[in-house]
Amino acid sequence: MIEKIYDDVIKETCLKYVHESGVQVFMLPMKGYSTAVAQFSAKFGSLDNAFSINGGELHKVPDGTAHYLEHKLFESEEKDAFKLFAQTGASCNAGTSFDYTQYYFSCADSFKKNLEILLGFVQEPYFTAENVEKERGIIGQEITMYRDSPGWRVFTNLLEGLYSVNPVRNDIAGTVESIAEITEKTLYDCYNAYYNPANMFLCVAGNFDPDEVVSVCEEKLKKREPLNVKTAEFNEPPAVNKKRMELTMPVAKPIFEIGFKRPLVSGQAQTDEYIYFNILFDMIFGSVSDFFGRMRDKGLINEQFSDGMFSGRGFCVPFARGESNDPDAVLSEMQSVLRSCKTAPPAREDFERIKRATYGSLVRDFTNADSVASTLSESALRGSSPFAVIDTAAAASYEKMLELLDGLDEENVCISIVKGDN
Amino acid sequence: MYTDFGGDSRSDYAAAAYILSDCCRKFPTYSKLSKHLANMYSASLTSSTSFAWAGMRGTVLKSSVIDNRYALNGENLEAEMCGILCECLLNPNADNSAFDGQTTELMRAELIDDIDSVINEKANYASMRGAMTAFKGESMELPPLGTHEQAERVTPESAYKAYRKILETARIDILCAGASDFADAEMIFAEKLSGLERGNICKLDSTPSRLKDEPAVFADTLPMQQAILRMYFKAPELEDRFAGLLFASILGGMTTSRFFLNIREKQSLCYYCSCFGNRILRTLTAYAGIEPQNIGRTKEAVLAEIKDICENGVTEEELLAAKLDLRNTLSSMNDNPMAMISWYHNQILEDNILTPEEYCAEADKVTAERVQEAARKYSLDTVYTLCPSDFDAAEDTDGEEAAE
Repeated sequence: MIEKIYDDVIKETCLKYVHESGVQVFMLPMKGYSTAVAQFSAKFGSLDNAFSINGGELHKVPDGTAHYLEHKLFESEEKDAFKLFAQTGASCNAGTSFDYTQYYFSCADSFKKNLEILLGFVQEPYFTAENVEKERGIIGQEITMYRDSPGWRVFTNLLEGLYSVNPVRNDIAGTVESIAEITEKTLYDCYNAYYNPANMFLCVAGNFDPDEVVSVCEEKLKKREPLNVKTAEFNEPPAVNKKRMELTMPVAKPIFEIGFKRPLVSGQAQTDEYIYFNILFDMIFGSVSDFFGRMRDKGLINEQFSDGMFSGRGFCVPFARGESNDPDAVLSEMQSVLRSCKTAPPAREDFERIKRATYGSLVRDFTNADSVASTLSESALRGSSPFAVIDTAAAASYEKMLELLDGLDEENVCISIVKGDN
Repeated sequence: MYTDFGGDSRSDYAAAAYILSDCCRKFPTYSKLSKHLANMYSASLTSSTSFAWAGMRGTVLKSSVIDNRYALNGENLEAEMCGILCECLLNPNADNSAFDGQTTELMRAELIDDIDSVINEKANYASMRGAMTAFKGESMELPPLGTHEQAERVTPESAYKAYRKILETARIDILCAGASDFADAEMIFAEKLSGLERGNICKLDSTPSRLKDEPAVFADTLPMQQAILRMYFKAPELEDRFAGLLFASILGGMTTSRFFLNIREKQSLCYYCSCFGNRILRTLTAYAGIEPQNIGRTKEAVLAEIKDICENGVTEEELLAAKLDLRNTLSSMNDNPMAMISWYHNQILEDNILTPEEYCAEADKVTAERVQEAARKYSLDTVYTLCPSDFDAAEDTDGEEAAE
């Protein structure tokens, strides 16, 4: 049974189908496109560092396990997934985030065959002591590569400063020390818990036949006993862990990230936070704002300055980042702008301008198969409508934005700085 | 817009490019231009300037806007965007042969930040420093934005002079892609550009990079944890561009490449080890991030893979995978207007411009023998390593010479 979800704003239709195994499938065929993109995801990310099954004992998971598992899933007893995709020419890869792991391909030909390969290898783990050991050096080098990136370090340090116990403060790939604890048993335990079909979803966009997707799912998706898997809960205090994080690395000019800690929300409330804080921050800190012009004229920021919203399961952070010789002055000015906006709200006309720009950016996302598939995956992860984000942007109200602005505590903030050693 | 590389005026060219996308007479500040673009559903206008082939500089003004059909009030966004692009190019914020002083000051500061910040991402830094050795004595040796010192010397007059040179002598190509017939765009560009006085139009040059008599070996150090290895190979005599492309793909351009399977997966030496080719310069660059004590081993492993292809060729399975990978990549460009623009942009040196489909058809004709022949044309030219400062080079066996 395929359900049609029509969106009146951008006149697109998404098809939803739930396989009897529990895997949710979202499809958005795009006329006139050459490629198709399929993303098969499990709700298992670096946040899931301890879990229980059916109310049983708590299993602790070393940091970096979700990412390690992602690396190893491409391998099989006979031919690894990369080799299978090489026979069709599809481009394939995977990624691990804080709250999910995703395997995907994009192809111009042989869509059905590629979908069979994707569903096949993700459902057939093959972990041995030998192949798990072999991967340790490769992942160790990946971790080291990120350790040398000031852009990544300033971001991970911000999360560490914002959160006291929320596992989002830990690096997705873990550390060289934490991955040393990972064995094939760790991977199988996590796979069996989190790669349960009811915890997974498939999103497809571009040039494909939805009936073909359904038929491959019927043939390839395996049914399994549903499990009640619970990631360990944590009690994150509302205040930031540390107000300031600083690190020295070779950089030309100090780089910084500023994040405001928000209470946890989910569902439509999270979508609202995402859209409204994007609009608000673009309006008062973005390139069109007085703040941007003033700070740029003073030489306190440059064109690298940007703002945005980083959110997922259990975290929600409106942020700004950039380069400055005086990051503390940037933070201080941002706080001052936020305070004054609460008493003298920004003009409605400015709100309308940025609302329109936000809508425009989201429309662009719907003209590319990769980003459409990602939009579908993100909404599946959040459990919201595939069009929730764009609909929220199109209907955004000035009054609601002011409400959220009022609730933002500009003092509950962390600044992370990476500065040079000169 | 293609001009000569600029020599000592590199930073003037770069500053001119920065200024053109920052403001214009109609929108005299970045804030005013940004507000207008935001009103156009987050339209974008950016500029870039980079090295383009032997001795050439490419200065690109790029704009994008959502298709007219998505406009909520029936606006003709395409025409408006083309008009703004022409305003920025033809009516900059300038008087008396000089750009606006305040704008120039701001752009010079941002240019200096961009030049200096190359050190932030180590892969970019290694790429710049490696190129300085690999292309020593050629224009590509020099960073396209110029040096910190050159940027310090940029004035409203010097940047404006570079701008006029671009406008009057550059070879200018206009490329549009998207869901439109671009009739409006064609009309607007034809009208606005028709009054330009131009002459001595820059001729494009496709000279390959020179191969050194002996490979150069250089190393730099920085406080970091991972070492980065870059190996430059050159094949000035290589004429078979399709075989050269497939060779690079089989060697280190796919997840089933020799580098991926043998250096990453079998030897666990690195997270990434890849390569890419430049068909105009006729170079092939291999690069990897590795533990410093594995530099020598990785270098040998890269050379061994090339030697193996030179001596034993590639398998039919590898060749087919490379062709399928190419076909998939090129087919996907049909869905991406910016990729389509890049595709044609990258062929402006060719007498015979190929569609992606025609290109695939030519690549399909390549045999394993042609790939082997292409591989044999490459010689090692330069080895560059960026090492952690605390690494004792004696641990590695190669004893690299320190770069100046």
